[in-house]
Amino acid sequence: MTDQLPLDGTGLPEPSLDPELPGPFPVGRYADGLKEFFRERPKVLVTGELTGFKRSRVQAFFELRDSEGALPCSIWNTDLDKLGLDPKLLADGAEVVIGGGLDYYPGSQNASPSFNFRATHMRLAGDGDLLARLAALREELKRDGLFEPQKQLARPMLPKTIGVVTARGSAACQDLLAGLERRGWRGTIVWADAPVQDRRAAPRIASALRGLAELEQVEVAVVCRGGGSLADLWAFCDENLCRTVALLRLPVISAVGHEVDRTLIDDVSAVACSTPTHAAEELVRVDVRAARVELGVRAGRAQRAGSAAIRARGKRLGELATGPARTVRAERVRLHQKLREVRAAATRGLATRNERAMRHALVISRKGSTGAKPTEALASLAASEAAIRGHDPQRVLERGYARVESLDGDAVTLARSALEAKDVRVRFEDGSVRGRIEEDVDDE
Amino acid sequence: MSEAPQTGTNSHTYESAAARLEEIIARLDSGEAELRETLALCGEAKELIVFCRDELTEVSGALTELGLDELVQGLESREG
Repeated sequence: MTDQLPLDGTGLPEPSLDPELPGPFPVGRYADGLKEFFRERPKVLVTGELTGFKRSRVQAFFELRDSEGALPCSIWNTDLDKLGLDPKLLADGAEVVIGGGLDYYPGSQNASPSFNFRATHMRLAGDGDLLARLAALREELKRDGLFEPQKQLARPMLPKTIGVVTARGSAACQDLLAGLERRGWRGTIVWADAPVQDRRAAPRIASALRGLAELEQVEVAVVCRGGGSLADLWAFCDENLCRTVALLRLPVISAVGHEVDRTLIDDVSAVACSTPTHAAEELVRVDVRAARVELGVRAGRAQRAGSAAIRARGKRLGELATGPARTVRAERVRLHQKLREVRAAATRGLATRNERAMRHALVISRKGSTGAKPTEALASLAASEAAIRGHDPQRVLERGYARVESLDGDAVTLARSALEAKDVRVRFEDGSVRGRIEEDVDDE
Repeated sequence: MSEAPQTGTNSHTYESAAARLEEIIARLDSGEAELRETLALCGEAKELIVFCRDELTEVSGALTELGLDELVQGLESREG
């Protein structure tokens, strides 16, 4: 910079001690040259947060600040008065736009030199200015990939401890508490008090969030503030705050402003909520009251489903167990039927043969002269009939015997089997009776 | 058995436990689980229900409010 100054050292009595640098120059002349250099710089508009505004007899002094730096400024009272600004608006934290250029007061033998930005124009920053700055910052943070990290963090659905960064007692704070109560959530809240407006707010909020993130028990945090103008909410667009939030390992929910307000912290946080009530729902995603009811329903469903599954298998097992007995029973019935059919067929066959024999006997008796003796033939036939009838079980019964059967109709032919069966049926010629086998009898 | 049931609830969060419980109920409702699996699922479901109930109970008592500054001071004095 100095080599561009119109200071060539002409007429200086001593040569330079350092051949690589021009000079030395008398400081007063150098300072005067510096003043001219600054004043020749182009005039610009600068915007930032006003702080330390102080009006003296001829001029007012203040600083413009943002998260990256500050600029000492001044404005002549005459220029300030022409602007007609309400002095109440020129308070710390006001976002302003000033127009002017660099200035340097070289001082004097007794007065100290000073550098500042000499403003000739000043106005409060409008939404347009702030929105332009917001857009530029948003673009920068997005380019740096800071919108995503928070959104990748796992957020518990039912946290036991939550951190809340807010100005205690605010309406937003009360709304948040009411929202949590509506969900039946009564865990632990760690309050981190912080101002939520003006230039002191952003660093305090960032510090509070860092503090919460250091506490292991805090599972999720929320930054909460009610609505306001963009200037009121400007702290939540602070670049340092937003970079801090983006890189925290603690999930942060932003609940700043209302439906229409969109601050930069909304972009970098895990989730942005339009109202404190919405924030309560995102902080504790499980409605505790509803979950209790639902858990009861699920417990009932699990129990019913399990019982039904076991009951169904038990029934099937029962069916499988009774299957063979049923099959045997059916087979017995079928066999008895066959037996009855065989008996009936035997009886019918005997009657037919008997009738045929009688016919033969009649024919033989009529033929008389054939040489055969009818009485002998008849006697032979009667003997045959008696022999055949001897094989009929019914005939056996008619002779005074009885048949012992189990209740299923099986013949019981051994005393041992009778004892085992206990209950038996005794079949006589004219019908059956049930009997109970009491004990073994020694035949001897 | 379609999948090995998880045992124990130590590694669960409320959401994972609730999701697993839903899976178990769907499996039991399907009627496809064998008897041995059914018994194992019922046992697991019981554990999960107790776990979820305890988690809900823990945040259903009285609201506890702490201040960050006091907590940090407490930690610092303990470390000191």
